[in-house]
Amino acid sequence: MVLSLIILYVLTLIYLSIADRFRNHTTILAIQGLLLFGIAMARLHSFHPVELSFIIVETLVFKAIVIPAILMRVINKTKINRIHSSSTQFGALVMSILALIASCAITYYMADNRTDMIFFGVALYALLSGLILIVLRQRIFAHLVGFLVIENGVFLFSMAIGVELPMLINLAIMLDILISILILGMFLRRLDDDMHTDESDALTSIKD
Amino acid sequence: MLIYLIISLILAVAPLVVRTERASNIIASLFFLVQVASIVALFVLKLHDSVMLSVFRADTMAVLFHILMVAVLGFTLIHSKSYLHAEEVSTRSYKAYYTLLMLLAVAITCVYYSDNVAMTWVFLEATTICSAGIIYHREFKQSLEATWKYIFVCSTGIAMAYLGILLLSTVAEHGTLDYESLKSVIDNGNPLYLKVAFLLIVVGYSCKMEIFPLYTVGVDANYAAPAPASAFISTALVNAGFVSIMRIYTLYASATEVFSWARHVLIFIGVLSLAVGAMFLRRSNNYKRFLSYSTVENMGIVAIGMGIGGVALWAAVFHVVCHTLVKSSMFFQVGIMRHIYNSYSINRIGNYMNINRVGAIGFIIGTLVLLAFPPSPLFVSEVMIFSEIVSVGSWWLLVIMLILMCVVIYAIWSRTLRLGYHSNQDELHLSAVNRRLSYSAAVLLIAAIVLGLWQPDVLKEAIDLIVNIE
Repeated sequence: MVLSLIILYVLTLIYLSIADRFRNHTTILAIQGLLLFGIAMARLHSFHPVELSFIIVETLVFKAIVIPAILMRVINKTKINRIHSSSTQFGALVMSILALIASCAITYYMADNRTDMIFFGVALYALLSGLILIVLRQRIFAHLVGFLVIENGVFLFSMAIGVELPMLINLAIMLDILISILILGMFLRRLDDDMHTDESDALTSIKD
Repeated sequence: MLIYLIISLILAVAPLVVRTERASNIIASLFFLVQVASIVALFVLKLHDSVMLSVFRADTMAVLFHILMVAVLGFTLIHSKSYLHAEEVSTRSYKAYYTLLMLLAVAITCVYYSDNVAMTWVFLEATTICSAGIIYHREFKQSLEATWKYIFVCSTGIAMAYLGILLLSTVAEHGTLDYESLKSVIDNGNPLYLKVAFLLIVVGYSCKMEIFPLYTVGVDANYAAPAPASAFISTALVNAGFVSIMRIYTLYASATEVFSWARHVLIFIGVLSLAVGAMFLRRSNNYKRFLSYSTVENMGIVAIGMGIGGVALWAAVFHVVCHTLVKSSMFFQVGIMRHIYNSYSINRIGNYMNINRVGAIGFIIGTLVLLAFPPSPLFVSEVMIFSEIVSVGSWWLLVIMLILMCVVIYAIWSRTLRLGYHSNQDELHLSAVNRRLSYSAAVLLIAAIVLGLWQPDVLKEAIDLIVNIE
């Protein structure tokens, strides 16, 4: 069960590298939220109402519903549609596959008996995928998606390590991330309104 | 701590519900008094080293940096009032500025007192959110760009730091992430994990401490924010980054196999920060960016001091303390200059000695102190770092540092002379000359010079306790 969810998660990351419409990016993020919910539930050792409700809020509510809704709102307001026309899908796919191979190699080198190797590898792949999106894509919205992919990777990473942080800390971390995304979404709209741009290349007015 | 947090947060959001600017000023003053009262209460109630709300500890480092923050905050509030009136901002913007500044102060205080690796991370991320509003306060094109970059890079960087914390937590027993518990078990950790964790955490927190590699966002933030807020960001927030890294450093002191490697990483980052600072100090054409690169350079020296260890570690902490006083004073002076010239342009403004003699003398003396000319306290700390470098035999490091610092001295001093004596090419607003503000900014500078001549025993003992990492 967990393995099939993990494989689906890897497929969403590969698809994300070649998807060129931002609506598809948002849908993939919502699907990732659902998959993370499934993975977290499958790994739940015992029934704790508080822990269960936290998983539901973090994955199902925030990652699968609230954050995609915020992104859709940004897309609708800014009327941005696709990643930059000059971006090549093939190049991005090659980079993504290379990242997958690198993740496998690093996992093999790093993982020890306390770590779940499959989770570790996929988490690493998610992090690299997020970074690739940020580096390769010119549009600021793609950077925001990249940041969210990294955050999902961090969530998987915490499962790979098997760390159970106190609920208060988990809650604070979740709120921090949510507020950051809200503010990033707000400023992305400001950039579109005030500077009429959604490309990172236009953000070069501050220099020495 | 709970009472302090509740009162501070209520006061921080209170300007949003009042109607007048005068009421916002009163609330800000009350907030400042609460900060002072909280420090007094720590001493009166003998709460030193006590754990509060399970995640805070009033250790020496927290209290020392809290005192420094409150000192800078007091002057920031005075200069902010003048700045906001001069800029003729709307009442809404006026109130939002004070709210964000106070929220930032609360978040920074929580970083100082945090006794838990994950909670330090949470509060550092909270400082990003509060700072963002202040950076965007002037609402011009560059401030929007700087804000976007600041939030995005800080959030991504801090997400990386969180990864490091997760790796670090593999050594934790039953998920306890307080520094003391981790310190007792860190030596059992996987060395490879610990190395990667250290690298990720330092790189992530570098955006706050304004060192290589994520220093750029801090420079842009200081450039875009109002000058008094820049003084606060460039000192109190930078110190929050320093405290966070120092706590990790102290933790790693117990990881015998990894500590030496971690110190080498800090030396490498420090040298690169110093190099970046030296290079961009020569290129910068804006006084605020110029002072920000000086922060990068000074924090580079601090990182090198931490990497060398021993006496240099003591000097690094002392350097941060004195840098806080000097740099905040310099930013306040630059804020006053902005009222007069309506510009921060290095190439265009000048003749400051004849326009505002008090401000010009304050800026020139501040520059000399920043360049570590005696009796600067930075001279004391830098000599201690150099002597420790010599004693450990790292001559190559000494040579590199001296070369880079010569470049820094040339870059800073030539620009300071230009401001004082070069002919002015910009429009002047002589009515904005405010000698009282110039004097008030000089108070912090005088405090720094006093520390250069005489270090009180209480400060020496406090730093001794902070650097006692065994």
